[in-house]
Amino acid sequence: MTVTVKLFGMLKTQLHHESELTVRLDQGCKVDDLIAAIQSMNPDVGDLLLKRKILVSVNHHIAHGETELTSADEIALLPPFSGGSCTSGERTSYVYR
Amino acid sequence: MSTVDAEAMLVRVQRENFSIDEEINRVRNRSTRIGGIATFLGTARDRSEDRDVSRMTFEYYEGMAQKKLREIRDRALQDFDVIEVLVLHRYGEIDIGENIVLIVVGAMHRADAFKACKWCIDELKQITPIWKCEHTPDGQMWVEQHP
Repeated sequence: MTVTVKLFGMLKTQLHHESELTVRLDQGCKVDDLIAAIQSMNPDVGDLLLKRKILVSVNHHIAHGETELTSADEIALLPPFSGGSCTSGERTSYVYR
Repeated sequence: MSTVDAEAMLVRVQRENFSIDEEINRVRNRSTRIGGIATFLGTARDRSEDRDVSRMTFEYYEGMAQKKLREIRDRALQDFDVIEVLVLHRYGEIDIGENIVLIVVGAMHRADAFKACKWCIDELKQITPIWKCEHTPDGQMWVEQHP
């Protein structure tokens, strides 16, 4: 099956300004399999996923590795959020757009 | 305005600027029991980590962001002794000095309003899929923050 993965923020930059990623997976695959597939496509992004610096959401819920996927699922990779205001010392990194 | 429409206006992600007075009145008009209203307004500043910032761009995850803001309002209403909560965040290009995010909490008493207001903005930062890109002399940079 083929799943489409939405990308946001700095992930778009790291993945050539694409807003979506298309990944081919076997039927019955889980989020861990998706992460492994992305790891092989882009090791840098894969490492961030493995360290859980980037989260995976499925149908607007944060998913865990055992979450099963279907081609109908809405899947997204979520880099660290930065909504709202910030106080000094909160920033951890910059990623050029 | 129907109840559903009125509640939808209390949780919004929108591009356009907002009137703080109108939003406060939206909460004030929900109940005559309200005796105190606390607000948090986040605005765009021109300095970040020793860099000048000329403007910023916010991106959000349509659907999930609204869902998380609704959760924040629902939990604040459930967990604090407050009467009404409004949560509003802008997206798109925002100039320096402009409004970004607004929390308005109405309660019978100020202590509850202040506590809930602080909780709402802290929670918003942690769970809402919204991302900020700052435009600086060094380029445009996505900002990652952790509470």
